[in-house]
Formats: sequence, C-alpha cells, structure tokens
Amino acid sequence: MKGHSLFNWVFAILASLVLLFIIAPLAGMFLDSSLGEMRSTAADPVVRRSVWYTLVIAFAATLLFAVGAVPLAWIMARRKFPLKNVVQGIIDLPVVLPHTAAGIALLGFLSRDGLLGGAAQKAGILLVNNGAGIALAMAFVSLPFLINAARDGFAAVPERTEKAALMLGASPSRIFFTISLPQAWRSVVSGFIMMFARGMSEFGAVVIIAYHPMIAPVLIYDRFNTYGLSAARPASIIFILVALIFFVLFRVLATERREIFRREDDATY
Amino acid sequence: MMLRTEQLCKRLDSFCLREISLEVARGDYYVLLGRSGAGKTQLLEVICGLTLPDKGRVLLDGEDITRKKVQDRGIGLVFQDLALFPHYSVKDNIMYPLRLMKLSLKEKVERVQRVTEEMNITDLLLRKPANLSGGEKQRVALARTLVTEPKILLLDEPMASVDASLKDSIRRMLRRLNRNGQTIVHVTHDFGEAVSLASRVGVMHNGSIIQEGTPAEVFNYPVNRFVARYAGFKNFFRVTFIKSYDTWSCISDNRTTFRLAKGEYPSSGLLIITAGEVLVSRQGAAGVQINNIHGVIDDVVPSPTGYEITVIAGDKFYADVTHREMEVQKFVAGEPVIVSFRPESLRLVGNGEDKKEY
Repeated sequence: MKGHSLFNWVFAILASLVLLFIIAPLAGMFLDSSLGEMRSTAADPVVRRSVWYTLVIAFAATLLFAVGAVPLAWIMARRKFPLKNVVQGIIDLPVVLPHTAAGIALLGFLSRDGLLGGAAQKAGILLVNNGAGIALAMAFVSLPFLINAARDGFAAVPERTEKAALMLGASPSRIFFTISLPQAWRSVVSGFIMMFARGMSEFGAVVIIAYHPMIAPVLIYDRFNTYGLSAARPASIIFILVALIFFVLFRVLATERREIFRREDDATY
Repeated sequence: MMLRTEQLCKRLDSFCLREISLEVARGDYYVLLGRSGAGKTQLLEVICGLTLPDKGRVLLDGEDITRKKVQDRGIGLVFQDLALFPHYSVKDNIMYPLRLMKLSLKEKVERVQRVTEEMNITDLLLRKPANLSGGEKQRVALARTLVTEPKILLLDEPMASVDASLKDSIRRMLRRLNRNGQTIVHVTHDFGEAVSLASRVGVMHNGSIIQEGTPAEVFNYPVNRFVARYAGFKNFFRVTFIKSYDTWSCISDNRTTFRLAKGEYPSSGLLIITAGEVLVSRQGAAGVQINNIHGVIDDVVPSPTGYEITVIAGDKFYADVTHREMEVQKFVAGEPVIVSFRPESLRLVGNGEDKKEY
C-alpha cells in the first residue's frame, strides 16, 4: 500500500508540474494586465476587427476544406490501396513542417507566379495579402487534425452496419450519409473543432502569406514589435478569451448533441 | 430449384471455398453445419454478393445472379452480430429498407405492422438497439430483413447472441417463418440447431461440403468420422470384416471381435455406434445374446442426461447411463463390467470408403 501511495504522489506531482507550466504564463499575463488596459483594448476597433477576421476566416476555411477532408478520411479508414502509407504521410506532413516553411511553400503556390495564385488572378482574385490566402494558410497547417480525427471515427464504425445497409438495398452514397457519417459524427465534429482552433491560432504560415488584413496572432506580434510587451499583452488576453469562448461553445454544442441522444435512449425505457 | 450454386470457388487470405455446389428448393430450411473457420459465412457472403467468387455461378430462380448488384438480388441476410444501426430506433431500423423502395406509404406501414407483429416487437419500436436484449435484437434484425420480403433468407449463426433460455423461442419463430413459406439458409456450428430446424443439411469442412441430405440421412449414416463426430457419435472402431458362411463379423485394430447384422460389407471400414446404444451391466444386458464384451470402467462423468461411462474392453467404449439407472447400479471407475450392444446398432461409415481422418 505504501508503494502504491508513493507512486500516486510522484505521478500527482509530475502531472501538476506540467499543468502549472501551461497555466502559469497565462495566469501571469492576466495578473500583469490592468482592467482599464483590457477595456480600452477590447474597445479598439483594430483589435475587434482582427479577432472577427480570425474567427470568420478560420471557420470558413474549416467548413470549406471539410467538404474534401471528410471523404478523404473515409477513404483512409475504409479502402485499401497501393501507397496508402505514403498518402497518410502526406496528410501528416503539415504537422511536422515548420510553419514558416509551410508559409514559404504556400507563397510560391499562391503568389501571382504560382499555380493557384496565377489562376486566381485571372479570375480577378488576389490570394496573397487577402482573406482567401489566410484561409488557405490556416487550412494547410490544420487539416491533419480534421482528417485524422474523422478517419479514426470512420474506422470505429462497425463495417457490418455498412454491409447490412447494402444488403437492405442502400447505395454507397446513401450508406455514407445515413450509416457511416452519423456514427462517426462525434469524431468528425471533434476534428472540426480542433481544425478550427488550430487554424485560428496560426501565425507562422499566415504572416508570410498575408500580413494584412491582420488576423489576431499577427496583430499581437505587430503590437509586440511596435509597442512592446505591455501593448501586446491585453490584445493577447482578449484573443485568448474569445478563442476559449468559441472553443468551449463548440465543445458544449457537441456534448449537448450527445446528451440529447443519451436522453432519447433513456426515455425509451 | 430456388437457389443453386455451381462449383463456387473463392480464395481468401488463408482459406478457400472449394467447388461448392448446393441446391435449395423453395420452402426448404437448409442448414449449413460446420466448425468455425469451415467457410460457412464466406459462402453466405458469396451467395448474397458481398464477395465475388473466383469461379462458379450462383443461380436464384434460374437466373444467374453471380455478378448482379447486391441490392438487386432479392436476398436477405441477417449477420451473426446482427448489425443493427445503433443511431436509429427500432422503427427506423425496420423502415430503413422501405425508404429505398417505391411503395405507397400505406403499404410501408402495413409491412412494418405485419413484421413487427410477427416478430412480437410492437412495444419496442421507439427504443434504440443499445437498450434491447440479445433476443430482442435478434427479432429486430429479422424484422428489418423480412420487411424487404426476400426470396430467400440467409441467417448467419442466428442463435449466437441469444441466451440459452431464449433459443427455444427463436427456434419456434424460425420454424413458423419456414412453415409460412419462407425459404431459409441457416449457418450454424450447433448440431442441435441443425437437427431441430433443418429439412436439409449440408456439412461443411475446410471450405467444402462433405455431406448433404436430410438430417436423418446425414446424422444416421455419416460419410466419414468428421460428420459422425458432429452427429454425436463417440464410439469409432476401425475393423476388418470377416464372412463365415452366412454370418458376418469383424475384428477391430485392437483385436475386439463384433458380430454384425446381416448385410454386405467391404473388406475393411469404420464402424460407429451411439453411446445410447451401448449398454453397461455387471452380468450382461438382458435380451442381448451376442456382443457382450468384458471390460473395466475407466471413467464416470456427469452428462446433461445422466452419466457418460467409459469402458476399456479391448477398444474404448462410451455408454450413456440415465440418472435412475445410476442410482440403482452405482457404477464406479475400476469396476469390471460387460458392455453389450445389438449387431443392428453398429453402422458402417461411408460404405467403408472413409480413409481420411479429420
């Protein structure tokens, strides 16, 4: 029992140190900022606009890329094909790339001379220093979170239920929308939230593609460079709070959905 | 024939179906019996189209459906794990195939009503599968398939997820379905299920059907040791047959001599006898004049119907003894006894052609 107790203590202390490492800088930042500073920063239209841009662009990027990412996740979960491991490596690549390097690679692709940038310009759209470019940069670095979470969700769906639907006369697309996706829904939503959160906080890739319009992480960096730590701190706090609110909100909505399902189950008794 | 397969072959990772040819007539209750890994489920999947065969054909009502789409075959399959849709209620599970059919709402409602009443699940319609018992899930899965009115119903180990106490009611339900005209192919590893349900039986082993016929044919006259074991035979004797004037006898590999009933026998073969037909006594069984062999009880083991006694009498004999008889006789291991059986009880396996040991 004594050994067991020592084990618990050692693990509790180690775990607490890690949690403290995460909480301490954030708590310090809150404590070092006055309420007046916070209030004036929150009222600053530049800050407001950048936070709004960040949320909208990150959400739009996640929504747009989910259209392709979810089918890709299903293919990775259900199909066997040559070089599947290579494809999985490609999906994971953005996670291991330095984000500034990702930004540089994207810049070559999205600039006027680039493949996509050139085509977009012919259609009258500039991707560099533009919201569309920011969305692409956010998506580039955050897509693995959605694809991998959704893939795990699809892999966990019992394949027999899909075969049963086939036996009952359903087409493959109907099986996907009525059997596979509803069962993998939690993982897909979870991946969606993670992609949104990761895209929202992206700095390295975005700053190379578009310094303007300024999204919140770029604004914080700009304030720090121009006015110093005391000016960057309140903007950081505002952005962290807003990001947290949205993050928690999405999580709660996803949980609510689960709870509704659970209550329906209970009510049938 | 309603369903016919012609020399179906399918090679899978570590296994293959070999030249499977079977025929199921309209209204048949065909049971495919075999150990797990024999290829029963793979055969069902080839029949219903979830797996394409490498060779051979599947014909339904005379039409070649080997390459036909799964959805258009008119075959219903209930999986071993039932595969109910967990996110739908019982009602939505049953409605699922109907939503894909071009039927009037009235007809859809009528079909749901009919199958739910037939399966006795009308009070479960609003529940989710997670809140159902094994027997209830089984009935819902059946209802979901029956609502499509399949030409033929394939059942993969339908009793596997049902408690022993509920198996009887599922059996009754399946018998009733079959009596009402539903053609059924039922896959199982359980000999008892096959006996109680089948109008025809096919015994599968290593991807082949090794014997086919009515349950009486298959289980009374097994073609080899494997089928005989499945049919519950425990007494096996490899013998050489001897004819002396008009009388047949045989001598086993362990030098035990048996007298045989009249008939024709090959030079050698495998004889079987059920444990129920072997009598154990201290003075020789009444009414049995021949085939009284002296031996010693090796073991006495309780069985569902009483006791199973093993006697070493040159060969090893297994005999079933009822509780009542045991109370009187009180047999114990090590005791000298006589095993007796009538010559007519000895059966020759596979006309003496059984050479393969399974």
